[in-house]
Amino acid sequence: MMSPQIALHDPIFCAYLWIVPFSLIAGGALLALLKWGFKKEIRSMWRTYCSWLIMAPLALLVVFAGRIPTIIGVTLLAIFGFKEFARASGLYRDWWMTSAVYAGIVAVGAASLMSHPHGEEPGAGWYGFFAAMPVFAIALILLIPILRNRARGELQRMSLAIVGFVYIGWMFGHLGFLANTNNAYGFICYIVFATELNDVAAFTFGRLFGRHPLRCKISPSKTWEGAVGALAVSMLLPWVLRFSFPFFGVWQLVLTGLIVGIGGQLGDLSISVIKRDIGTKDMAATIPGHGGILDRIDSLIYVAPLFMHMANYYYRLR
Amino acid sequence: MKKWRYDSARDLDQTLVERLRRFPREPDMLVYGLRSLVALIIRGWLRAYHRFEIVGHENLRDNGSFIMVANHSSHLDALCLLAAVPLRKLHRAFPAAAADYFFKSVPRIWVAAVVVNALPFARQVHVRQSLSICGELLLNPGNILIIFPEGTRSTTGATQDFKSGIGALVAGRDVSVFPCYLDGAFDAWPKGSFFPRPRKVRLIVGSPRNYVSRTAEKINICAIAAELRDAVKELGRNNGYD
Repeated sequence: MMSPQIALHDPIFCAYLWIVPFSLIAGGALLALLKWGFKKEIRSMWRTYCSWLIMAPLALLVVFAGRIPTIIGVTLLAIFGFKEFARASGLYRDWWMTSAVYAGIVAVGAASLMSHPHGEEPGAGWYGFFAAMPVFAIALILLIPILRNRARGELQRMSLAIVGFVYIGWMFGHLGFLANTNNAYGFICYIVFATELNDVAAFTFGRLFGRHPLRCKISPSKTWEGAVGALAVSMLLPWVLRFSFPFFGVWQLVLTGLIVGIGGQLGDLSISVIKRDIGTKDMAATIPGHGGILDRIDSLIYVAPLFMHMANYYYRLR
Repeated sequence: MKKWRYDSARDLDQTLVERLRRFPREPDMLVYGLRSLVALIIRGWLRAYHRFEIVGHENLRDNGSFIMVANHSSHLDALCLLAAVPLRKLHRAFPAAAADYFFKSVPRIWVAAVVVNALPFARQVHVRQSLSICGELLLNPGNILIIFPEGTRSTTGATQDFKSGIGALVAGRDVSVFPCYLDGAFDAWPKGSFFPRPRKVRLIVGSPRNYVSRTAEKINICAIAAELRDAVKELGRNNGYD
């Protein structure tokens, strides 16, 4: 269903091959206008933009390469995202818990890659195993203190491991599972593009009109104006890019807009809650201008599973 | 409810390269796994391609901290000494590597930090500071320090004079120092050669020495360096080389 040959003949993927570079060029032109037209200081925005110039083509390349590279790519992002979470929360010192979560994330990737062993579910990807994965991972995590015969401080470790697995490993893993759907190119390209655009829109509207803090105890720089502006953009986008899912009706398009527009903000804020409690500004300094991998994928963590289950409810996806 | 205490990594706000360059490095499960895997491959390669052999391996059964001191003529040297360390102690074995050579470009930093687990030694500018980092490392029991006291690879294969820094490090310190002699590494992969040649390489591990009774005066330090060099050369001579 996904391969380089199919991708080149897929009208949806080819459309995104134009949309993504066009958006990057438009963003660059806007920054140039800010710098030379309005004489604004844009150094930090420029760094963020330069990272986009690398990340966006890389993401397109992975999707172009096919189903297996996409799922492996998502799994790797989840692994390194969890690693950042573990390093920030101190869980990385506990090798047992960390390895249990890594094993769980790899299993999520494997469930997305393999088919049902008796062929009871159509298409690639073992949906039942994928959906039940938290049961196995949490069982494994709860087993560890029993095996090691220790109780002191274990509740904190177990909780951190479970949050790390469910949130970063499993929920984000839904993005990889979308590669098994019939409309994989449309879903993956739209979800990633719309969510990142939602982030950029929130930042832009916040910078332009931001007055009222959205959640002052969590993230002081986010504003209601930014959130509402981003929501407006995200509500509009499904209609603009309707070719990504031609079979969607009006109700599904509205839901898609709401999931991306609100879910994206919530994903951002929920990682901010974690960061605020730990007392760090960024999860890591992996991507210049963005922070860590987790700071970049935070909105997708919220959006990908909600979108997948919404689409799965209305249509047979595989 | 009592507050949870998060024990974050200390290098959280540093970029990947800065994290690799800093010392001591934070423990990292993925790096440890990769390092163990690469170590197994390197050990296999040394056995098959260089018919690598270790004499006096039993000498290294020491659970405290210790230092391995060897002659230096090739990039193979550090890999050979690491191959003599038991696999479970691999992540606590630190070959001192020239900061001005191995910690300059990103690929070299990556190899030095991830594969070799090197300690960046500023041999040109901050020797004293680097020596004190080495000293702190030895305070933790179980750490292994690998040092080539010649300071650089020999261009002729003959063992050069040892720098006095090794004397300053071990004088008055209760750690075992193992003199080691590496034979064949120069023929296999000399300085300036691009790829190793399939020559036999042998590592001879001598019996440990201890310099706790010596004081850190200049004359003593130089004497220790000379003694260690003689011990290394002696190992080669006793086994019919050099």
